[in-house]
Amino acid sequence: MDKRTTPIAKIFLIAVFLILYVPIFFLIYYSFNSGGTMSHFKGFTLDWYRQLFGDTRMFIIVLNTLVIALLSSLSATVIGVFGALAIYSYKRRAKNTLLSFNNVLIVSPDVIIGASFLILFTMAGIQLGFMSVLLSHIAFSIPIVVLLVLPKLNEMRPSLIDAARDLGASNWHVLSKVVLPFISPGILAGFFMALTYSLDDFAVTFFVTGNGFTTLSVEIYSLARRGISLHINALSAVLFLFTIVLVIVYYFISRRSSMKTMGVRK
Amino acid sequence: MENAVIIQFNHVTKQYQNDPAVLKDVSFEIERGKFYTLLGPSGCGKTTILRLIAGFTEATTGDIFIDGKKVNTIPANRRQVNTVFQDYALFPHLNVFENVAFGLRIKKMKQAQIEAKVKEALSFVNLKGYENREISGMSGGQRQRVAIARAIVNEPEVILLDEPLSALDLKLRTQMQYELRELQKRLGITFIFVTHDQEEALAMSDEIFVLNEGKIQQSGTPIDIYDEPINRFVADFIGESNIVPGIMIEDFLVEFVGKRFDCVDQGMNTNEPVEVVIRPEDLEITTREQGKLQVTVHSLLFRGVHYELSCTDEDGNEWLVHSTKKAAIGDEIGLYFDPESIHVMRLGESEEDFDRRLEAYTEEDHHAK
Repeated sequence: MDKRTTPIAKIFLIAVFLILYVPIFFLIYYSFNSGGTMSHFKGFTLDWYRQLFGDTRMFIIVLNTLVIALLSSLSATVIGVFGALAIYSYKRRAKNTLLSFNNVLIVSPDVIIGASFLILFTMAGIQLGFMSVLLSHIAFSIPIVVLLVLPKLNEMRPSLIDAARDLGASNWHVLSKVVLPFISPGILAGFFMALTYSLDDFAVTFFVTGNGFTTLSVEIYSLARRGISLHINALSAVLFLFTIVLVIVYYFISRRSSMKTMGVRK
Repeated sequence: MENAVIIQFNHVTKQYQNDPAVLKDVSFEIERGKFYTLLGPSGCGKTTILRLIAGFTEATTGDIFIDGKKVNTIPANRRQVNTVFQDYALFPHLNVFENVAFGLRIKKMKQAQIEAKVKEALSFVNLKGYENREISGMSGGQRQRVAIARAIVNEPEVILLDEPLSALDLKLRTQMQYELRELQKRLGITFIFVTHDQEEALAMSDEIFVLNEGKIQQSGTPIDIYDEPINRFVADFIGESNIVPGIMIEDFLVEFVGKRFDCVDQGMNTNEPVEVVIRPEDLEITTREQGKLQVTVHSLLFRGVHYELSCTDEDGNEWLVHSTKKAAIGDEIGLYFDPESIHVMRLGESEEDFDRRLEAYTEEDHHAK
């Protein structure tokens, strides 16, 4: 196979990334505009950021968002891992059926999931607010974790489990000393994926959040509805930066764990 | 004295759901401290026997005893046997030391003791100094040794080896054959080795069980099985053979290809239909007149140590000959063989009858001498 890329392929790739990233950078660029609009750049200022960080209401919203993201992704990871283990243990047909059920949840539109949660919570009498948002975030994150953990489980040779049992391992030891360490890259990927899903979820949160509780994406939406303010740009820029940091952290963690299993090959 | 039998199968049958049985009423005994080989083509049930001993699967009917105790329902993690897997099944997230120490850690042994034992086990398999290596950085042969060390460190009564050499290249495989045999002698524990490679089986074993279609066809020392195969399957599977139909005229006289030959077999009915085996290396090339059989050469292969000639006789039977002498394709040659080279097999004889008949006339031999 020829490994060189043709100029057309290169140009195409660059164009794709430009289209994806330019709007974001455009947004960030104008967050430093002292002019107050996004039509032309007047001069450099950090006023919007100062305003943002001085806003305690906004600080609480950020905190809410982070707490929801961390709690929901942690719980979803635990539940999702056991879910994946359960699906893995079934025979082929049941496995495929369960996996399809899982995948339907991922592809079905957020609006439908959000609306159905809203109906569920009102019928169950759960007050809309922190709890309802947390529960729905956990719920929509679980399928993602399952989807990322299952391939690692399938990758694991069944003889590894036999070997562990052969060496005297009880069921608990097999799980804790062999299976979980083996699938840990999948668990990690699932956790981070759930974290980002929760951080940027708008539709579901919008449905299930009540008065007095809001997350960043919902807040940005309501700010934008009130009229364009560069406040939003600053907020988006901070959010974008945070996401980048997450990606970098994930990169380093996964590289460290893969280096350990791959060893140093020459 | 300790009981010599370590593993016993008592009419064991294994069947997965509605599929035909993988093992059909198998009974055998395995003695302490010997090197056993389960030999057979894929799907013959040899790996199933191993999995039954290890406890990864349960017998449908019949009993399995290890060290005199019935173990039918004892799970794998509480059996005194350890397995070396075909794909090694090393834990990729642990280094060499931790892989070997796995079983000891589960037993909650003290760290100092673990270190000493792992070190000893690794030096047994010539992997001193590899403790901190990652598994992924090791070659197939080295992984194989780690897998063996991981099994022997637990000091089991029996080690089960499931085609452990099949993934290695020829040279390394031969070397590991020596090493495994050596290791078994030094440790003095029972090895049960599963393979489909007959050469491997002949070279390493004290005792071979030849399996086919869920049944033990024949068991015995490598020499017994090679020289006195019980039936067509064993003769064909172990080494190469010429097998032709014949008739046992009387004791010491057998007829095949329309001629009568002296032989050393006896104890059969007169005029009983039989099958006759002659090994290719027992056939000698001579002139047409001197040969006991007259054949035409139709292909010739150079095999390194010998030529392999494929010939046909007048009846259309094919004769494979291994000879250092060369013959040209199309030559009409004679084949000579000693009466001892003829081995007569009865059709459908059970292993018990076969052994009884063989014993009967080897005893006579002793009296005669």
